[in-house]
This record gives sequence, C-alpha cells and structure tokens, in this order.
Amino acid sequence: MDVNQLQKRFIDYTTTLVQEGFLDDQFNQLQQLQDESNPDFVFEVVSVFFQDTDRLLNELGKTLELQNVDFKKVDAHVHQLKGSSSSIGAQKVRNVCIAFRNCCEEQNIEGSLRCLQQVKHEYSLVKNKLEYLFSLEQQILAAGGSIPTWNE
Amino acid sequence: MMQGNIWVSPSSRGLVQSMTLVVKFELNLSGGVDFIEPGPPSNSQLRGLRVILADDDGVNRLVTRKLLEKLGCHVSAVSSGFECLSALGTAGSSFQIILLDIHMPEMDGFEVAMRVRKFQSRSCPLIVALTASADEDVWQKCLQVGMNGLIRKPVLLEGMAAELQRVLQANIGM
Repeated sequence: MDVNQLQKRFIDYTTTLVQEGFLDDQFNQLQQLQDESNPDFVFEVVSVFFQDTDRLLNELGKTLELQNVDFKKVDAHVHQLKGSSSSIGAQKVRNVCIAFRNCCEEQNIEGSLRCLQQVKHEYSLVKNKLEYLFSLEQQILAAGGSIPTWNE
Repeated sequence: MMQGNIWVSPSSRGLVQSMTLVVKFELNLSGGVDFIEPGPPSNSQLRGLRVILADDDGVNRLVTRKLLEKLGCHVSAVSSGFECLSALGTAGSSFQIILLDIHMPEMDGFEVAMRVRKFQSRSCPLIVALTASADEDVWQKCLQVGMNGLIRKPVLLEGMAAELQRVLQANIGM
C-alpha cells in the first residue's frame, strides 16, 4: 500500500472511530496538539493512559473483591479513570465511568462489578483500535509520509 | 437582592481580618466567559506566562501542559499540592498563574489555594481551578478560598485561553 492509501486509511479509520462514539473531540484536539516539536505526543499520552488504566483496573478488581468494599476508594479510582479517559477522548470508557460512580454512590456491589466488566470491555475495544491507529502511523512514517492532521 | 454572600474572616484574636463579598453574576463556566470584546482573542498576553500546573493524574498533566505550551506559556507541572507549595516557596521562582486540579488526594486544590492566599495577596499569583464539576457550589468555594478563575475539564484550548485571558484582564494593575 502506498503512502496516500495509508494516509487515507488513517483518516477514514479515525473518522469511523469518532462516528461510532469510541473517540470524541478531545482526541481530535490531541492530534492537533502534535507538532514537529513533539511528533509523538498522541502516542505518548495514550501510552500513559494505557499504563494508568491497566493499574486502575487492577486496583478496582482487588478493591471490589474484599469483604468490606471501600466505596470511597473505588470511587476515587473511577473518578481518576473518568478524568483521564475524558482527557484523551475515550468517550465510551468515560461514559461507563459515569454509571460506575453512581453505583459507588449507592454502594451497590453487584452494579459496580457489572460496571467494572463493562469498563474493561470498552477499554479493551478502544485500546485495540488505538493500537491499530498507531500501527498505521508507523507504516505511514516508514513509507516516508507524514501523519495527516484532522482538518485535512 | 443580588443573591450574593458576604462573610468575614476573623483573625486569631477575633478581630476582622478580611471581608469578602460575593455577588452572583451570570457566568458561563462551560469554557470561559463570553462577554469579552468580539473578534478572535489575541494570545499574545499568554506568551511567556509562567504557569505552575498541579494535577495528580499523569494523562491530564501531559495534556494540560501541552495545551498551555501551545498558547506560549512556560509550564512547570507537579503532581501534588505539596509539590506545588514547595515549588512556590523556592526562592527565585515567580509564577504568575497557578493552575490547580481541585480533586487531588492528600491535599486538594482548595487547601493549596488557602495556604497560598494566607501569605500573599489575592492577585499574585493568580489561581485558576481545574474541575470536571459543574456545581455552582464549587465555584463559590473557589472564590471563598481566593481563587480567581475556573476551567472546566476536559480542557479545550479555546476555553483555557479565554479563561486565562479573562483572569489576567480582571487583575491588571493589582
């Protein structure tokens, strides 16, 4: 596949992700913030997001398994996940976090466990899609092209 | 009449140390205030601005920092209230704006603001809160502890620029 085809695929894929609600305008903003002085900005931020989320989901699993669930702690973790997913535009993940926080407020263990499953699911989906997007980026760069910006 | 609030902060000896008047105006908190003069806002005011950013979340720190740098600000980013106070206390550091995430563990943004305002005037450095909350009460509390502005999360470039400019304009010459 030549550079132009790769670039088109990149644009189309990003558009689809936004249309399907996986990503929102915040992700668009991240792409716009990427420039020559910081060509890996989006990858950098999303990598931190993956690391932090893996850790948070792990913590959430452990916290919800305990005899006496500390909902304040659960809520704090979900609040953080909501914030970071919101910052990178991972819309579906963020939306599950909102429901998750409601379960915490109600001290609803079953609801919380369901939300945890849901958030893990949405996270895994968006993670796969973002990883594919980055692989397209790598292919474009390897073929000597530049990453298209959103408004092109 | 104007749905405001007035309160008095007493000193340790019970004497009046300061009085604060809060009056309710229409404030668009969704991304900044709109009653600035029409036309594209000039970001020249923000270039070279020395900002310290405190947010405990790594992703948010990276994104907010990049937004500020895009506006031309010089940014120091820390991950806690303690680090923020410590950086402010360092001799020779002179930040013009403190950008504070309200919800930080151990020491939240309100606490940091209170401690900063204890020793310094209400306008130097300027303090702007970062919060995802849309609560009216949050804004009231921000004013109470001596903050000058508020930016809603998730942060967008235009909203940040607008609020920083508003806060700078409102405090010129103080």
